[in-house]
Amino acid sequence: MAAAGYPISAIAFYSGGLTAYGLMLGTFTSVMVAVVGAREAGWLKRFRASPMPPGAYLAGQIVFNVIVSIALVVVMMATATLVYGLRPRADAYAAVLAYTLLGVFCFTAIALAITRVMTTDEMASSAGPFVTIALSFTSGVFLPPDLLPHWLVTASNYLPLEPLAQSLQHALSLRVGSVFQWHPFIVLGAWGVAAFVAARWTFTWQPLRK
Amino acid sequence: MTDVIEVNNLTRRFGRLVAIDDISFTVHEGEIFGLLGENGAGKTTTLEILEGFQKPDRGSALVLGHNPYTAHRQWRDRIGLVLQESDFDPVHTVTETVSLFAGFFSHPRAVDETLALVGLTAKAKERVGRLSGGQKRRVDVALGIIGRPSLLFLDEPTTGFDPIARADFWTVIEGLRDEGTSIVLTTHYMEEAERLCDRLAIMAKGQIVAEGTSSTLISEMGATTLRFELPRGLGLDALRAITGIDFVLRDNLATALLGAELQSVLRRLMTWAESTEVHLHRLEVLRPSLTDVFLGATGNDR
Repeated sequence: MAAAGYPISAIAFYSGGLTAYGLMLGTFTSVMVAVVGAREAGWLKRFRASPMPPGAYLAGQIVFNVIVSIALVVVMMATATLVYGLRPRADAYAAVLAYTLLGVFCFTAIALAITRVMTTDEMASSAGPFVTIALSFTSGVFLPPDLLPHWLVTASNYLPLEPLAQSLQHALSLRVGSVFQWHPFIVLGAWGVAAFVAARWTFTWQPLRK
Repeated sequence: MTDVIEVNNLTRRFGRLVAIDDISFTVHEGEIFGLLGENGAGKTTTLEILEGFQKPDRGSALVLGHNPYTAHRQWRDRIGLVLQESDFDPVHTVTETVSLFAGFFSHPRAVDETLALVGLTAKAKERVGRLSGGQKRRVDVALGIIGRPSLLFLDEPTTGFDPIARADFWTVIEGLRDEGTSIVLTTHYMEEAERLCDRLAIMAKGQIVAEGTSSTLISEMGATTLRFELPRGLGLDALRAITGIDFVLRDNLATALLGAELQSVLRRLMTWAESTEVHLHRLEVLRPSLTDVFLGATGNDR
C-alpha cells in the first residue's frame, strides 16, 4: 500500500490515522460539551464570580483531555502491536506522545474558540463529530490521500487533522531516518495559537440563552 | 459609617431599552439593603454591574472601593454571590460541590459549618441532582457564603421556598448580618423585605422611585385605610357631607385611603356617629403595608 508517496503497511496507516481521528473527535467533543454545558448551566458564571483564576479552568480542561487522550493512544497502540502485529521503532512512541500532546493543545484551542457560536448543548455535542468526520475524509484517515484530487490533499495539508494523521503514520511506519517531522508542529501549533488568541476575545462566561 | 457600595448616576442601555436610568444609592457597612421592583425594573442589571458582569454605559459603581468590572481576584475573594438561576453538576454530592468552591477562597468557612448554617447537614452526601428545588437553592446560598464574604449579593434567594424554609433562611441571613456581613438583596416578597432589610430602594422602569427604611417609606408614602360597613340609609354623598372626603364601596365596605387628614376625618365621623347613635359595624383603621408603598411607588395602585 502506498500513501502520500511512501510505502506504508495498512495497519500503520490505519493505526496512525485513526489515532489522529480519535484525538480530534475526543478532545474537540469533550471540550465543547464541557464548556458549553457548564456555561449554559450557569456554572462558568459562578466560577467567574469566584476568585478562581480563569487559567485553572483552562488547565483543568487540558489536563483532563491529556489523560483521556493518552489512555486512548495506549489502547490504540496496544491493539495495533499485540493484535495486528504492528512493529514500530522504539523511538516512534516518543513521537506518538509528542504528537498526542500537540493534538490535545490544538483541538482544545479550536474547540474553545468556537464555543461562542455554540448556543446550545445539542449544537456543542454534534459539532465535534460533524467537523471531525467531514475533515477525516480528506485527511488520510479512512482513505489513502492518493485517491483524492490533488488540490484537496494540498488544502488538507494546512488543516489540523491531516498533518497529525500523516506524521503519526510516518512515525509508526518508519524504518530509517528521524521519527519527528516539523511541519505538524508548525501547522497544528499555528492553528492552536491562533485559536487561543481568538478564544481570548470571543470566550464568554455567561450563558448565551436566558 | 463606611459605605461598601457607592453608586453614582449609573445608566445601562440594551439597544434602545434603558435598563437602568441614572440611579444613585449607597449601601452602608453591616446593613441589609433591599432592591425591590417588578420583573424588568432593572434589579438584576444593577446587581450584575455591582458584581462585575456588566459594564455601565454611564456613571460609576464602587464596590468595596473598587470598580467591579476591572477588579482583581483579591476583590472577588471578599464577595459572595447567590445568583438567580441555580444549576449544578448533578453527579457531585453537596459536600463535593461546596468543597470545590471552598478551594477558590483564601479564608473559607468550614464546609460542615456552612452546611449546618444553611440546613443541609442531613443532605451532605446526597448528589445535587437528587435535591429538591428549595434544597438546591440552599446549596446556592452555601456557595455564596463559603468564602466568608464581606459583602454578599442575594438575587431573589427564597424564590420557591416553602414558608418554613423561608423563615429558616431569614434567620441565617440575620445571623450573617450580625457577624458583620453587608448584604444586598433583591426580592419579590414584601414581608421578606420588611423583615430583613435595614434600608431598601424600590425600582420601577430603571429608576429608583423610593428609598429609605421600610418604616420611613411606610409612614411617608403609605396611605392608611379607613373602612366600615355603610350604615343603612346612608349614601356615599351623605358620607362625604359628614366627613369632607370621598369614600368608595369596596367589598361592601365604605373605604377611603387617608394620609395626614386621618385624624380630622375620624373625629368628624365619630362625632356624627355619637350624636346620631349610629353603630359603625366592622370599623377598621389599617396601617399601610410595604406592599401598599410598593404598589403606589411603582404606579400599580389602581
